[in-house]
Amino acid sequence: MKKLLLVLLVLIVVLPLAACQGEPAEVAEEVEEVAEEVGEEAEEVAEEVAEEVEEVVEEEVEDLEPIVIGSIQDLSGPASIPGQANAWGAEYAVQVINENGGINGRMLEIITLDCKNDLNEGINAYRKLVDEHEVTAIIGPPLSNPASGWVELSEEDQVPIVGHFMDEVCTTDPDTGEAYPYMFLAEPSCSSQSFAIAKFAMEELGLTKFATLYNTGNAFAVAHAKPFMEYVVDNGGEVVGEETFTWADTDYSAQALKIVQAAPEAVFLSDYVNQAALAYDFLRDAGYEGVILGANTLALPFPDLVKNEVYDLYYLQNYDMLNPEAGGYELFTTHMEDVGTDYPKSNAGFGWDAVQVLVAAMRKAEDPTNGPELRDLLEQTDGVELAERTITIDPATHRPSNMGMYIADYDENMQIRILTYIEP
Amino acid sequence: MALQLTINGISIGAIYALIAVGFAVVFNIMRFSNFAHGGMISACAFISFFFQRAFDPPPPFFVTVLFSAVCGMGIALLIDTLGYRRIRLKNSPKIYYFLMSLTFAILIEQILTVFFGTDIYGFPSVFKSQTFEIGSMIFKTMNIVILAVSVVILVALVWMINKTKIGLAIRAVAINADTSRLMGINSSVIVTVIFIIAGVLAGVSGVFLGVQYGVFPSVGPSMMLKGFIASIIGGLGSLSGAIFAALALGLIEMFLTFFIGATEATVILFGIMLAFLFIRPQGIMGIIVEDKA
Repeated sequence: MKKLLLVLLVLIVVLPLAACQGEPAEVAEEVEEVAEEVGEEAEEVAEEVAEEVEEVVEEEVEDLEPIVIGSIQDLSGPASIPGQANAWGAEYAVQVINENGGINGRMLEIITLDCKNDLNEGINAYRKLVDEHEVTAIIGPPLSNPASGWVELSEEDQVPIVGHFMDEVCTTDPDTGEAYPYMFLAEPSCSSQSFAIAKFAMEELGLTKFATLYNTGNAFAVAHAKPFMEYVVDNGGEVVGEETFTWADTDYSAQALKIVQAAPEAVFLSDYVNQAALAYDFLRDAGYEGVILGANTLALPFPDLVKNEVYDLYYLQNYDMLNPEAGGYELFTTHMEDVGTDYPKSNAGFGWDAVQVLVAAMRKAEDPTNGPELRDLLEQTDGVELAERTITIDPATHRPSNMGMYIADYDENMQIRILTYIEP
Repeated sequence: MALQLTINGISIGAIYALIAVGFAVVFNIMRFSNFAHGGMISACAFISFFFQRAFDPPPPFFVTVLFSAVCGMGIALLIDTLGYRRIRLKNSPKIYYFLMSLTFAILIEQILTVFFGTDIYGFPSVFKSQTFEIGSMIFKTMNIVILAVSVVILVALVWMINKTKIGLAIRAVAINADTSRLMGINSSVIVTVIFIIAGVLAGVSGVFLGVQYGVFPSVGPSMMLKGFIASIIGGLGSLSGAIFAALALGLIEMFLTFFIGATEATVILFGIMLAFLFIRPQGIMGIIVEDKA
């Protein structure tokens, strides 16, 4: 009886200590001290209990080690400007999540590596994260080139990847249409975005004759231009010109003259901002005065890069970044202050959003480090809060089913002005 | 339309000519392809961009062009001093010049990338109106300026090579450096003059490319390719050949792009270069160069 009482007494003292999740050695030491106070007879019992407690606490501490995720972004190379903003968004999201208690009490740790918008660099970064850092999941880059190399690897390693690789070939098999098991997109795909700007041009502006001018070597541009033309044709419009250029070209005046000759009502530019700015100038220099439509890359600093007056230009936007009443305003202003940039960048929101999608699945998981379980939960993503709006992922495509796009132009001060929201 | 395409083609050809001549002038004397020329152009594009932005109001455009030309000269002499001169003094094989030029080309581009990133910097608009019309044709103001300046520079250069004593010395060294030395020509001075000329051309090209296409680290190397094709077709080392070939290249490229598309045009341009290397390796006006790198 005396022995039982002693055990109970020791447990009363020990359990709160264990609950405090202190260092196992410290807890054991304190248990022994208490036991000594109770008496010599209890020493043996106390040692046994202390060993038990030490084991329990060690298990607890192990469970509370941070969950490590990877982030592969274009920190250098031709897409480093958006890539760095993406990386910032993901890291800032992790910081905020940890400040708010982490994932069910466990902290997140993010390791960011550079893929330089290069397929092989992307694979190297992936291998390093999975093999050396043993990450649970990966936040992907906004560009499709490096992401396309992870499709099979992620399935082999059972590592979910959430990113902004908008080209559909990164999320679904182009031959079968089936979703790649571990690849998930956290913004509207290239097709969805192209449909949105085409829909706006045809329904809101009432245009029917279109042309495109894009770089055939840029997967992003091609993945926008082709669906744009398909939408136009499918909806009774006409594509009167499809002009192209390559990475080696710097002069598009011949293409611009040809477009002027075809007399479209609108020209769609779907390249990165450098090429889009050149294309805009060549078109205006060639005497084209019609509407110019653009991908989301035509956001700031586009007006600083062109020499002609910016007019009749409409382009896609993912966020209403300059609107203080919009959900992502604080995020974008924090990014601007933090990195010292003059204009907001959608990519900061992209990094943030991808982490939110992943974390929502982790919070629901029994084991947030289990890849297959996370994959199943990511497929069921429904109504997860992002920087603006919510996301629901279509399990059949692993792409958002509920996200539309904003259409914007530039106001008289050359600031982004959101005009409308096109539903998906 | 054909006339409009011709004007556009000659304008782009004039830019190619500036680059091709900068390339050819070094080859003419030194017998190696100076790929560092592309890096020099990029560096000058950045220098002129920041020079223009440093003043409010910005200086007249010709001042920026002159400043960039002087800086280009300095960069060329620096590259010669740091790299080529040592190879020259050791009388090393020509392949070392080639490797050194590639090293400098990559080094300059990477240094610019480290400091300025890969983002494009938009050169401030130089003219109030970007274009003007004559009849039904639209002329790009900057194209005409580039064309005019290029013509002046290239004519002056050809005159200098053909009509002045220093030009005679350059031609003599180009034919045979050792014999020229025996005849009292200081070949070191001639090499310095050559790099000064190449630097000035890189400086002017840098401003024009920056204004036309924006300022970014690879702006020079990306245009070097066309300049290189022009110097091959024109005849490696031949200044007049390079000018002629560059203008022809601009015209062919413009018409091919218009009628068959940009991708196909690039394939055909390289095909033309290959054909020249097979059929007439000395180019349109060049001589066969046996010891080259």
